[in-house]
Amino acid sequence: MVRSDIIRGHLDSIILRLISEKDRYGYEISQEISLRTNNRFQIKEATLYAIFQRLEKREIIEAYYGDITHGGKRKYYRITPLGRAYLTELVREWTEVKEIIDLFMEGLE
Amino acid sequence: MKKIKNHIDELFTDIPRNNDTEMVKQEIIQNLEEKVFYLMEQGKEEDDAINKAIVEFGDIEDLRNELGVKNPGIKNMAKLNLEFSVWGSSLIIALFIFINLYYTPNTIWAIYPIFVILWWPLSMYFVWSRKKWRE
Repeated sequence: MVRSDIIRGHLDSIILRLISEKDRYGYEISQEISLRTNNRFQIKEATLYAIFQRLEKREIIEAYYGDITHGGKRKYYRITPLGRAYLTELVREWTEVKEIIDLFMEGLE
Repeated sequence: MKKIKNHIDELFTDIPRNNDTEMVKQEIIQNLEEKVFYLMEQGKEEDDAINKAIVEFGDIEDLRNELGVKNPGIKNMAKLNLEFSVWGSSLIIALFIFINLYYTPNTIWAIYPIFVILWWPLSMYFVWSRKKWRE
């Protein structure tokens, strides 16, 4: 598994990307991350909820309650227009960071 | 399922109880239960599934910061201390000035104790502004 402190700074992007595709709830997101990375990266749920809180406070995502499953109501998240703008910005930033780091990491044996 | 609720309750013990934290708690419990059901569908025993869900949940430190366990009382305390010191010292200073003018109007000595007393609000002001700086 990948060292999580390197990914840590990009968790916002990962979660926003998943929510931007469609509205999702907590467990679905953690499952989707494991699935897409083929279990190479797993997010700790505690971290996930901390990020939800932060993004919701900044009005990047908003929550609503969905259908009842297994005895409880699922809390879904959807991305706001502000969130979309933020995600675009994150993507642009990431491309630049990747280029810069690649300058130093590529071409070595 | 009771075990999950108990575990989350335990993690939340030192987090202040209000609507927000209660909602996060419910959300977490709901999602963990869903995870347990999913794991059981995959053929795990209930106990195994619950343990796995709890272990993978991780450390609640981030969430704690996010929910603001920053002791909001401390800042107000510093401000209260400052206010008290200002009022208290003004009273004492007024008393000294009165005694000075009333009994020995020809010698001005009150300035010395006043200078000493002024250190009180001054130090409180220092504490308060340092707190403000840190935020």
